[in-house]
Amino acid sequence: MTKSRFNPWTWLWVTVATLYFFVPLWGTFDFSMRMKRGAFTFLAYEKVFADPKFLDSFRYSATMGVITVIVSIMLFVPTIYWIHLKLPRLRPVVELLTLLPFIIPVIVLVFGLIRTFSRPPFRMTQTEFTTDILITAGYVILSMPFMFRAVDVGMRAIDVRTLTEAAQSLGAGWLRVLFSVIFPNLRVAILSGSLITFATVVGELILADFLVRPALGPYMIVVGGGKAYEPAALGILSFGLTWICLGIIQLVSRGDVRLQPIGR
Amino acid sequence: MAFLEISGVTKHFGPDAGAAVDDFSLSIERGEFISFLGPSGCGKTTTLRVVAGFEQASAGSVHINGVDVSSVPANRRNVGMVFQAYALFPNMTVAENVGFGLRVAGQPAALIQARVAVMLELIRLPDYARRYPHQLSGGQQQRVALARALAVQPQLLLLDEPLSALDAKIRIELRSEIRRIQQELKLTTIYVTHDQEEALSLSDRIVVMNMGRIEQVGTPFEIYNYPRTAFTASFVGHLNLLPVQVTDAATGACTFEGTPLASSQPAPNKQAGSARLAIRPEELVLNGTGANRLSGRVLSVNFLGNVVRLRVRVGAVELSVDMFNERKLVLPAVDAQVVLSFPAHACWLMD
Amino acid sequence: MLASLWNYLGVLPFFAFIIAFLIFPATNLFAGAFQDAKGNFTLVNIQGLFSPYILKAYRTSLEVSLITSVSGGVLGFFVAYAITMGAAPRWVRSSLLTFSGLAANFGGVPLAFAFIATMGRTGFVTAILKSICYSAADASQVCPFDPYKAGFSLYSTVGLAVTYTYFQFPLMVLVITPAIEGLKREWREAAENLGASAWQYWWLIGFPVLLPSILGATLLLFGSAFGAYATAQALTGGSILLVTIVIGQQIRGDVLGDTNLGYALALGMVVVMAFCIALYALLDRRASRWLRR
Repeated sequence: MTKSRFNPWTWLWVTVATLYFFVPLWGTFDFSMRMKRGAFTFLAYEKVFADPKFLDSFRYSATMGVITVIVSIMLFVPTIYWIHLKLPRLRPVVELLTLLPFIIPVIVLVFGLIRTFSRPPFRMTQTEFTTDILITAGYVILSMPFMFRAVDVGMRAIDVRTLTEAAQSLGAGWLRVLFSVIFPNLRVAILSGSLITFATVVGELILADFLVRPALGPYMIVVGGGKAYEPAALGILSFGLTWICLGIIQLVSRGDVRLQPIGR
Repeated sequence: MAFLEISGVTKHFGPDAGAAVDDFSLSIERGEFISFLGPSGCGKTTTLRVVAGFEQASAGSVHINGVDVSSVPANRRNVGMVFQAYALFPNMTVAENVGFGLRVAGQPAALIQARVAVMLELIRLPDYARRYPHQLSGGQQQRVALARALAVQPQLLLLDEPLSALDAKIRIELRSEIRRIQQELKLTTIYVTHDQEEALSLSDRIVVMNMGRIEQVGTPFEIYNYPRTAFTASFVGHLNLLPVQVTDAATGACTFEGTPLASSQPAPNKQAGSARLAIRPEELVLNGTGANRLSGRVLSVNFLGNVVRLRVRVGAVELSVDMFNERKLVLPAVDAQVVLSFPAHACWLMD
Repeated sequence: MLASLWNYLGVLPFFAFIIAFLIFPATNLFAGAFQDAKGNFTLVNIQGLFSPYILKAYRTSLEVSLITSVSGGVLGFFVAYAITMGAAPRWVRSSLLTFSGLAANFGGVPLAFAFIATMGRTGFVTAILKSICYSAADASQVCPFDPYKAGFSLYSTVGLAVTYTYFQFPLMVLVITPAIEGLKREWREAAENLGASAWQYWWLIGFPVLLPSILGATLLLFGSAFGAYATAQALTGGSILLVTIVIGQQIRGDVLGDTNLGYALALGMVVVMAFCIALYALLDRRASRWLRR
């Protein structure tokens, strides 16, 4: 039962995992630095940042990311709060609904959105503004499991019902309870959900591609089709962005990041 | 040699760590029910795990029935164990759990079935054979765990705080059940607990442990009434301590804030000076006739059911006084002046 | 009664949103699967799913998902086992878990780029393997490890599987680690105490208790690969016909010659996913009952 024994199997699997993680990353980095023959330079990165289309698409994706985060918070936080407080019996139903994006792949979701909303009476794909509304809705659906789970776990941890009753017994009104008691206690949960949502939206391809919006995903596909070194640089940059978002979550929540796979 | 002989067992976790168990020696006779009693971290569970074979002792040896088992692996010691968290196998029914030990020993199915039936009868759950652990209450799970440990007819039964996860009522019920089964099978048993009531009510002998060492070994009566160390005295039962000046070390005479008091034993260090006089709350009598008398003021009266506990201020100290409840009992009022008396044989001097 | 209606009003925006942008579009799509071009009810589209072209797409998708869920599942299980039960130091365990969280979320186009730069024709690892050469007896150069000469291609099903495994096995690590941690030390000790060997413990208790979790996690991996589109699209430019790729082509232009057949394709996909997730939920419930997570 002694635990400190050296176990070769353990190290074999740890090594295999580490190699699988890092060899592609190192390979990509190495590749991205070799644009100039015989030298190790950041030329590919310079080219990426010099491309106005990259900046435009990144700005578009980042903006959509922020909008999606805001809409998600406004839609989910009050709903989850209300369910915890007044309708706990509804929780399993809502939880099931938030898992639907697992069952309906994004490609199917976008297919359905186009079939439904590009036709009369909606005709939402006819102007850029209405398409952006549609794509935001899609992003919110896409990131729903992350946001819901983060906030739901946060609410369960603080026992909202008792907190609310305590605040009300001290004379606080509804809005005051929400803004000075519930939100501050959910900071970490909301921040975690927001960062995952943001990272998901910025790296997303399918919705933007099929709704023909100038986002980062479609831009990367175009670059990938025509160039050799810039895609590698973009890959490293994307990984860096994911790293930063998840790193912040790790930092604030001091727990392991548990996410779900959708939108690939 | 006794049936179970634990000699000089010492256990260090890691080279720099202090001793979790320090030079533990004990002889246990066949059929005895022994409790290891002490606060958490006192080494009682570690000692039990050394006997079971889950921990390797850093020094010392364990002999069961004359055989040195120190280097025998846990799965060949034939020692039954019941864990604190009901460690039933969740993927098996009650019957499969109870029959597990016989199954891995390669016994024929018919024999296993018969033995399982006997065991379930013993723990009074004959109709639960096909249930799964998650369908049972905590108390039932612990009964099954007991049956599982007994099914292989172990030479020794070890129980590691088996009742501490259960409700108070179930705990008392299961406690007497364990004692009944142990007596029925005349099984040598070691019972680890931090609950003095459990240890006092179950055991033939109690081993009080603190910081890896044995404080005292004795029958429940000895441990409670004649504690040999301050730790034992205060850990087992409630104890009042009066700071006194010893006036005659040989007879145990002393004074408390000028009032002379008599005790029946000599002072432990055989000399005059500061000491503490120990007395149990139930030995103090309100307005009684005992040789020693102290007057004080009632601070509080707590009704606990069968017992009424008073807090009485005497000089600079507060004493607890327990009175047996009865219908005609007249309770003193808070702030009332009372005289407490106790006989010389009820108290003893400690350092 | 009025008060409880008022309560339900609080969740109305949420339900309205979900219905409008998820349930309604999805059912609208599925309804299309049972309609012909004029909107009349028909089962022709469902029958159309059994045409060789579409069956092949389903087969490729199932193949890739099966391979990567098994390879990722096995690798992920052993890694999770190594970092929980093995003697790995604490920092190894926590950094591997962190990287798993990261890698499980690293998908889509950037992942494809990373593997092209690593295992593509001129990629980093390919170049290293290619350069391991020796001179044969007839003075010609022999390079035994050149992956593309040995028949490997990143732009094939195998290449796709290798790429997917990058997010599949970390996902397995994340899902199965809590289950392995849920194996109580007391079970092992109780088994040992009753005379069982280490092997008997694993065969009779450890493995059966973990089995629902392992199967459930593998199903989750399967679903995650089955629904993936972006990585495959970016890696192969749509030359491997997965179901998702065919649906994408159908949205872009009418490759099937029949929009309603596209709807049926999507419906078939959701049926497979729903089956996986339902089975996963069932297994997960059993696992959590046993492991009390």
